[in-house]
Amino acid sequence: MITRRKILIAGGTGATAAALGGLIAAGSETARSDPSASQDAEVLAFILGIERIESGFYAAVARTGRLTGELAEFVAIVGGHEREHVTFLEQALGSAAPKAQPISADVAAVANDPQRFVRTAAALEDAVVAAYNGQAANLRPETLARAATIVSVEARHAAWIRDIGGLPPAENTTDEPLTSDGVRDALRQVGLLS
Amino acid sequence: MRLEDDTPIGDLDLAVIDRDGAVREAAQALHSRGDVLRGGLAAAGAIAAGLLLPRSAEAGELAGGDRSVLAYALSLEYLQDAFYTEAERVGALTGARRTAASVLGGVERAHVRAFQGLLGSGAPARPSFDFRGTTEENGAFLRTAVALEDLSVAAYKAQAPHIKAPAVLQAAVGIHSVEARHAAWMRHLVGVRPAANAFDEAEGRDAVLKTVASTRFIVRKTPRTTRKRSPRFTG
Repeated sequence: MITRRKILIAGGTGATAAALGGLIAAGSETARSDPSASQDAEVLAFILGIERIESGFYAAVARTGRLTGELAEFVAIVGGHEREHVTFLEQALGSAAPKAQPISADVAAVANDPQRFVRTAAALEDAVVAAYNGQAANLRPETLARAATIVSVEARHAAWIRDIGGLPPAENTTDEPLTSDGVRDALRQVGLLS
Repeated sequence: MRLEDDTPIGDLDLAVIDRDGAVREAAQALHSRGDVLRGGLAAAGAIAAGLLLPRSAEAGELAGGDRSVLAYALSLEYLQDAFYTEAERVGALTGARRTAASVLGGVERAHVRAFQGLLGSGAPARPSFDFRGTTEENGAFLRTAVALEDLSVAAYKAQAPHIKAPAVLQAAVGIHSVEARHAAWMRHLVGVRPAANAFDEAEGRDAVLKTVASTRFIVRKTPRTTRKRSPRFTG
């Protein structure tokens, strides 16, 4: 869809983002400074890193062919969404997009244990929601508007996998934001980041 | 429980609800934005525990644009609050639907209290509702819940970029994603795909209010009798 492909960043590319080579860029704390094109790029580079983790994780799980039924459907559908998010963010960032890194996860062990898969995917989706929410105030309004089209889909994923696994889909009155460090910690706890 | 097999995933909306007659009548734009938003009921509710709204933000400290967004959001929260609260009170739902009505009712009531607290005396009054039987039967309840939650997600999404106060923005985005969780949960219960697309589109205020009006769930304008007035004579 053309409107969606319209670049998230209206002008300016953020050399800062290009300098952030890691899987998840450093920085991107909540309410750091006034929104700007370069800060948008920095935030989006961070977001791209976690979208790549999601996309890579679901793709690897799908390749094992171990999950069946609704869990397999979840992996196929959600994995497709995450690939679209990655493509969208890569196009938005252009040359400022950091290089993709291989994901860190014992995918075979997760895919062989449906309960472990549910816990891992729920933690992952919850962390991604918190990551987007944590960056909202750092983005310029036009960039926030585009990011907002993604975060609610991540929240849907979170509620879906939780309901499949018998976890409460929506436990709280609001979803709490996380800083980038908080997101990284959450991903490490479920083995998705080393 | 599944919708009719020919229901396209992702197209569940109020038109689909209409199929079972819950909201059959043609859209009537009975309630202009002003009707929904106008009013002067003083807020009794305190800021809900756990909801990240700024305690210091008294009504006068918020920019007019933020106040307008909050009043609009409150009008949508009133609708959801009333829907789930009535479903709980009627007590006709069973199983997972019953649980969902209870959980979602609690959350939407907290949103209402928080926004009322934030807007103070400028909060719009709570309208009267008639949910036309949708709170009294599992299937109609779920389909209506899906439509209301999807609408709420689209509505918050359109407003977030306009919010100026960081604390209000943080609360709004936190509620936005919670409404998306609700939408996915209700979709899962009704048997349609919880996340229909990779991107959720926003929906502007006029379109949202037109959809709300088309439900005819809001049956009366702001009840003036609840407006607090100062007595003319004392002693």
